[in-house]
Amino acid sequence: MWAYLVNLAVLISINAILAVTLNFVLGYAGIFSMAHAVFFGVGAYTAALVAMKLSGGFLLSTAAGMALAGLISLALALPALRVRGEYFVAASLGLQMLAMTVFSEWKVVTGGIGGITNIPPARLPGWTVASPEQYLVLCLVCLALVMLAVATLVRSSFGRSLKAIRDDETAASAFGKNVAVIKTLAVVVSSALAAVAGSLYAFYLSFVNVESFTLDTSVVLMAMVIIGGTATLVGPVVGTVLILLLPAALSYLPGLPQSEIGSIQQMVYGLAMVLLMIFRPGGIWGFRDNPKDDR
Amino acid sequence: MSQGGAVLLETREMSKTFGGLKAVDNVSFALREGIVTTLVGPNGAGKTTLFNLITGHLAADAGDVTWLGNSIRGVPHWKIAQSGIGRTFQDLKLFDQMTVEENVLTVTERGAWLWQGGGRTGLAARRARALDALDAVGLSGRRRARAIDLAYAERKFLSVARILAAGARLWLLDEPASGLDPGSYDRFVTLVRDQLRHGITICIIEHNLDIVKGISDRIAFLDQGRLLAEGEPQAILNDPALAAIYFGERAE
Amino acid sequence: MLFLQLLINGLQLGAIYALTAVGFALIFGSTKVFHVAHGAAFTIAGYLFWWSVSVQKWHWAAGLALAVAVVLAFGLAMERLVYRPIQRHEGAFFTVFIAAFGTQIIVQNLVGTVFGRGFETVTVGLSQAVEVAPNLFVAPIAGVALVVALVFFLGLNLFLTRTHVGTGLRALADNPDLVRVYGLEPTRLAQVAFALGSVLVVPAAALTAVTQGINPGLGAHIMLISLAATIVGGIGSLKGAAYGGMLLGLAESLAVWKLDPQWSEAVTFVILFAFIIFRPAGFLGRPHGAK
Repeated sequence: MWAYLVNLAVLISINAILAVTLNFVLGYAGIFSMAHAVFFGVGAYTAALVAMKLSGGFLLSTAAGMALAGLISLALALPALRVRGEYFVAASLGLQMLAMTVFSEWKVVTGGIGGITNIPPARLPGWTVASPEQYLVLCLVCLALVMLAVATLVRSSFGRSLKAIRDDETAASAFGKNVAVIKTLAVVVSSALAAVAGSLYAFYLSFVNVESFTLDTSVVLMAMVIIGGTATLVGPVVGTVLILLLPAALSYLPGLPQSEIGSIQQMVYGLAMVLLMIFRPGGIWGFRDNPKDDR
Repeated sequence: MSQGGAVLLETREMSKTFGGLKAVDNVSFALREGIVTTLVGPNGAGKTTLFNLITGHLAADAGDVTWLGNSIRGVPHWKIAQSGIGRTFQDLKLFDQMTVEENVLTVTERGAWLWQGGGRTGLAARRARALDALDAVGLSGRRRARAIDLAYAERKFLSVARILAAGARLWLLDEPASGLDPGSYDRFVTLVRDQLRHGITICIIEHNLDIVKGISDRIAFLDQGRLLAEGEPQAILNDPALAAIYFGERAE
Repeated sequence: MLFLQLLINGLQLGAIYALTAVGFALIFGSTKVFHVAHGAAFTIAGYLFWWSVSVQKWHWAAGLALAVAVVLAFGLAMERLVYRPIQRHEGAFFTVFIAAFGTQIIVQNLVGTVFGRGFETVTVGLSQAVEVAPNLFVAPIAGVALVVALVFFLGLNLFLTRTHVGTGLRALADNPDLVRVYGLEPTRLAQVAFALGSVLVVPAAALTAVTQGINPGLGAHIMLISLAATIVGGIGSLKGAAYGGMLLGLAESLAVWKLDPQWSEAVTFVILFAFIIFRPAGFLGRPHGAK
């Protein structure tokens, strides 16, 4: 039971990092990325390779993953953000499909479907992270740092520029905001921070393959942010916890065939997304931020 | 009435066509420093399109715009904005989900990078400028409210506070007085007159001729994309031919 | 010979993609709803056709009729129960997109739970391939696919240019106020757009079930292709979407000529990227599709 709980907590922290960073572009910048799992994957593969081929520690591996994820996101954002919002959705979906093919077919680097195995434990100066409990500590520290970074950015002039562009792009540029550069930076920051989650995931499981970085993952991450509440700091974390506890909760319900649990889980969050959009577009946590409270 | 100082902004033979319709047709006119120039004309005369051509929001098919002596045709509109041209929109285009203070603060922050130059003192100075702008339009008491929760007149004043805080030298105001109650209107005129004394140049699109009379130093009359006349308010408003065009469209 | 074979397969695939893409483009163009649940309509139509023809042993025409009826109801229900309430209070592109995506997820999993997750194929006489030349196999269904697509496009074109409602639909894209002046109700027109767009999915789904088989995940793929074809063809152009669908179908098939089959989907998205970078207005869109 303890091992199960620790494992769940580690997965929640890793997914929360992804949800919080996705919310940075989705909630604050109004940029709809369907490719967040790609940057998760780039972070994981890069960290694994740096750790194995260059015997890099956690910090070096993570930094390499962040740099590469940032660079790839730049290649996506530069052309796609110059045009209308719908194009970015399509382009990011395209990148997601392309990346899945590359992850599973570029066998020399990614190990194909079999993936990369036997990734050594994470090493930090003076600390080799060995037990699941130690990984939980590392994950929580990283989550806290990522949340701090996002919170700081959101409250800064950069965050205000993002929100201004989200609320009215025409007005924002009429007041001197270089919309393309600001949006591109937001995507790069979000993608680089998502790579941190990838690195943690690779070291924790000591194994990565394409199945963790599919379109389904991008969709679940989107569901976490939407259900929890966009443009709030805590909302995405709430959404992550709810969605990751869902399979456990469902397995306690009598009468559900075990083989269909995965399907039913997806239907539940699909339904939650539809109903929330009709009745409560701000998400579950969103009501805390109700406009009326400001009066 | 003052005839104004040097020419700040000038359009030369500007044209813009939308699918066969000439929205702006060969318009040449000038905005002089320190005065209020009003653009009048029936609906669809091309007034807002002319604003969009000046600010670079639309690309002109022909012609040129000079600002402070340099051509700004083809310059991205965020750059034009940074060079000192500010505007309001008919539909206001406030940053609805942001607070009143954030709406004003964000337009003082032009850098696209993750942080602005100037550090803490820079931020304090920008914040002070934002609060001054809110004070000037009487909104400092509402600075923590969201823009979307403001009353209509308050929203209009917030849109003016944004150009004030942005430090624009030339204000392009698109129907700023429409829908204002008399009290708010008087406050608006006082504000505009006050800004003129600080060296601000203003160009207003306005429909209501009473307002036009009360506020203009010069008038430019547009109809069907063409500039029909430009001059002192008395001369334009008393021209029977222009009046026929202006009131003609209402009779239809 | 391989090239010729791939070309024929590509034309057949392209016809199917063109049908779904035009439906998507019609709905998006006239109502501005990013109807990504279009893929869900495809899944529903394909499975109903398979179920009635292969499981229940009905006549194929009865299968098509059932699919049309249900998909029509689905499209109209989405417009009435999901998109319209959202647009009334919010109207953001983003909110509508998520609701549509949620629907796509529900349908995909529901279909998987009810009908299973394997590939299902409908066998009809027309799908038997004949060796017309050494190593060149052609099934009559490939011709059927092209003819069906052409017939539907001609019909749609006639409807849009010759009827009062059709003209209104085209006007809705440019100016909803103008439509009111014209004596038509925009909400009524939106329903027509959803009905037409959804029905276009039925021939595409039935042809797919016959030619290559269907599985629950195919809806998401179709949604992606429709989206990509709309952008490649130029947002706002139905003709462009049809050409875009055809181009993507041909590219996906011809890619196998030089590449491993696993890479064929990647080719689609490389084309999409190329268009977004070099020609964002698409090949038939108005220049400066960007604001």
